[in-house]
Amino acid sequence: MIRRIHMEIALLATCALLLCSGCTQQPVQAAAEGGLPGVKIPVGPIPGPQMEFKMPTNPYEENSVAMEEGRRLFVWYNCYGCHGGHAGGGMGPSLRGPVWIYGGDPAHVFASIAEGRGKGMPSWGTKIPQDQIWKLVAYIETLGTPQEPDAPHVAPDPQVKEKK
Amino acid sequence: MTERIEGVVLTLICTLVLASYGRAQKINGGGNTNVPGQLPSIHLVSPEPDGQWTLPAGDYANTRYSPLNQINTQNVKNLKMVGSMSTGIARGHEGQPLVVNGTMYVITPFPNNLIALDLSKPGFPMKWKYEPHPDPRSQGVACCDVVNRGASYADGKIVYATLDNHIVAVDANTGKEVWRTLVGDIHIGETTTGAPLIVRNIVITGDAGGELGVRGKVVGLDLKTGKEIWRAYSTGPDKDVLIGPDFKPFYPKDQGKDLGVTTWPPDGWKLGGGTVWGWISYDPETDLIFYGTGNPGVWNPDMRPGDNKWGITIFARKPETGEAKWAFQVVPHDAWDYDEIMENIAVDMDWHGKMRKLLIHPGRSGFVFVLDRETGELLSAEKFQPVNWAKAYDLKTGMPEVDPAKVTHTGVIAREVCPSSTGGKEFVPSALSPRTGLLYIPAHNTCMDHEGIDANYIAGTPYLGSSTTMYPGPGGYQGELVAWDVANAKQVWGVKDPDLPVYSGVLATGGDVVFYGTMEGWFRALDAHTGAILWQMKLGSGIVGDPITFKGPDGQQYVAVYSGVGGWMGAAAQPSISLADPYAALGITGAMKKIKQLTAPGGTLYVFGL
Repeated sequence: MIRRIHMEIALLATCALLLCSGCTQQPVQAAAEGGLPGVKIPVGPIPGPQMEFKMPTNPYEENSVAMEEGRRLFVWYNCYGCHGGHAGGGMGPSLRGPVWIYGGDPAHVFASIAEGRGKGMPSWGTKIPQDQIWKLVAYIETLGTPQEPDAPHVAPDPQVKEKK
Repeated sequence: MTERIEGVVLTLICTLVLASYGRAQKINGGGNTNVPGQLPSIHLVSPEPDGQWTLPAGDYANTRYSPLNQINTQNVKNLKMVGSMSTGIARGHEGQPLVVNGTMYVITPFPNNLIALDLSKPGFPMKWKYEPHPDPRSQGVACCDVVNRGASYADGKIVYATLDNHIVAVDANTGKEVWRTLVGDIHIGETTTGAPLIVRNIVITGDAGGELGVRGKVVGLDLKTGKEIWRAYSTGPDKDVLIGPDFKPFYPKDQGKDLGVTTWPPDGWKLGGGTVWGWISYDPETDLIFYGTGNPGVWNPDMRPGDNKWGITIFARKPETGEAKWAFQVVPHDAWDYDEIMENIAVDMDWHGKMRKLLIHPGRSGFVFVLDRETGELLSAEKFQPVNWAKAYDLKTGMPEVDPAKVTHTGVIAREVCPSSTGGKEFVPSALSPRTGLLYIPAHNTCMDHEGIDANYIAGTPYLGSSTTMYPGPGGYQGELVAWDVANAKQVWGVKDPDLPVYSGVLATGGDVVFYGTMEGWFRALDAHTGAILWQMKLGSGIVGDPITFKGPDGQQYVAVYSGVGGWMGAAAQPSISLADPYAALGITGAMKKIKQLTAPGGTLYVFGL
């Protein structure tokens, strides 16, 4: 009897857990199906500690080949025209940090690229494959770090050097 | 008071006497240039501003000269701030306000609000504000800050452009919108930042977006209704460029059929740039408008073999129909982004002993060009800042003598090219004083390393194909207000700025005072003859706007200017641009190392009086 009660409690707990995970997981999937590929954040009230859902991570994190490829794509897709030759900004903001208008972690950078932003950042989700967006994110995350591919050199001014 | 009137009358008589004396003495080569008390032989072709400021440059001819002389070299030291107003927008405040019937009209950067201020009351309170609500996405295709260069007034309407390509006409009394016309498309990278010019019943306006593969154009709209009357593209077949039987370019290089197509690789002209984002001038005597076109697209010259007409070209057109009268391509097959959209100043002047109808164009390419505005003949081209991309211009052919070492190719870095893409000067307009015969040029001294790379056209994104970084030019300065003797094609004096380019417009007055601002924020009054700094005041933010002067309802002379650093070079002051990348913002950051230390973004109108 006691054993049976225990089993029932365990079963209920499992159900509750399943239901709760349904609360968070379901909207994520629903959003991903209908929208742009990539990161989706659940919509609607999510009670209590269950709000701590897991943000997607970059499959190319710490992948130096992908960082190099991301640099190439940054030029190829004209990102450099707006965000600067080495992402120091221009028509669009600097991506060299520390200020991130729409969030600087990989999932948010992915979302900004895929979905676009209201002040003129185009939405690239239907134009650039998801895989390449992650490579762009991998490059952007290296900016200003020792891993940055093709980092800019702030050289002394040539004319100033000549005078000495 | 009586004394004052007597003084004014005496000054007037003296001026008249001296003027006639100056003319009688006239012999050769503009000998009376910059001789205090003597006037050079200059005939102004459009009415001078009569105490109001109704056109972007004050007059049609783009002299930016006002005859007002209450503020003069003797009393300018007493100039005081009499009013200020924040626009609430901390972006580049280019251009200038208008003053009409005792009201000042301020046009802000994006979101392009129009604010009317009552000049008859202390503190200049706001009468009304018109908000056109342009599409916020237009900010993302504006190459060089979200700027606006001003409005024109005619027929009771203030007419100006919004960043998202609407031309709006607003009732100057009520602030109500009279009409709005869409003339461009942000989805292909087009924006409108220039100030329209109104000639009789036609509103004439260009476009911007030469960095995004936009096909440049100028349109003429009906002032009453806003309906488009004509459209003249800068590239493509003659019928699109409005080139017809009356088109008579001076040089053989600019003659031929459909050059806007045949000087390009197949279909290259469709993304060919040649946008018109600078100043339009008008000469009532020849009844022609004049403007210059911007860089051909894409920046990498290897991707567009040919002369790339009509990129970097000065056009003369009929205002009513847009028909081209002549064209002079200033830089064929541009490899430097030398947009020549700068002001074209129309004056008649003594030119080597003979009065001629001149068009004076201080250029981004570092030369002051003087043309015959009836024919398009190049009369003179002399360097006003360090220039090495070309040795000189051949006046017989109208062609520059280009140094091939300063031409970039795909994968080839052209090093120490002077001036940089930002030019010996930018769009910021010069002033010409008929009292001194001097042209006052806001100049830069910046050089660059420039590399062509492969470009990929994606609509609504930059179409560049270039990797560029800039740095200060030789001589230990970056900015200079140059006083240029037009008749003798040489510099008379200059006021240098060590760390930043001079990026404000200039105003010359009948009081022989020249006003301009520095990017650091000093608003200055110079002696028009000597260049001595007679007065200066540090404003809240760097100055990239153009000073104006007017007579208030109280009969007193005032001077007004925007303070608010920005524009292509000035945007480096924004926190959104990192100086750790010398290739940022199309390469300007390398030359703007001290800007964040010297100034900060802002947006304020200042008014000064005695």
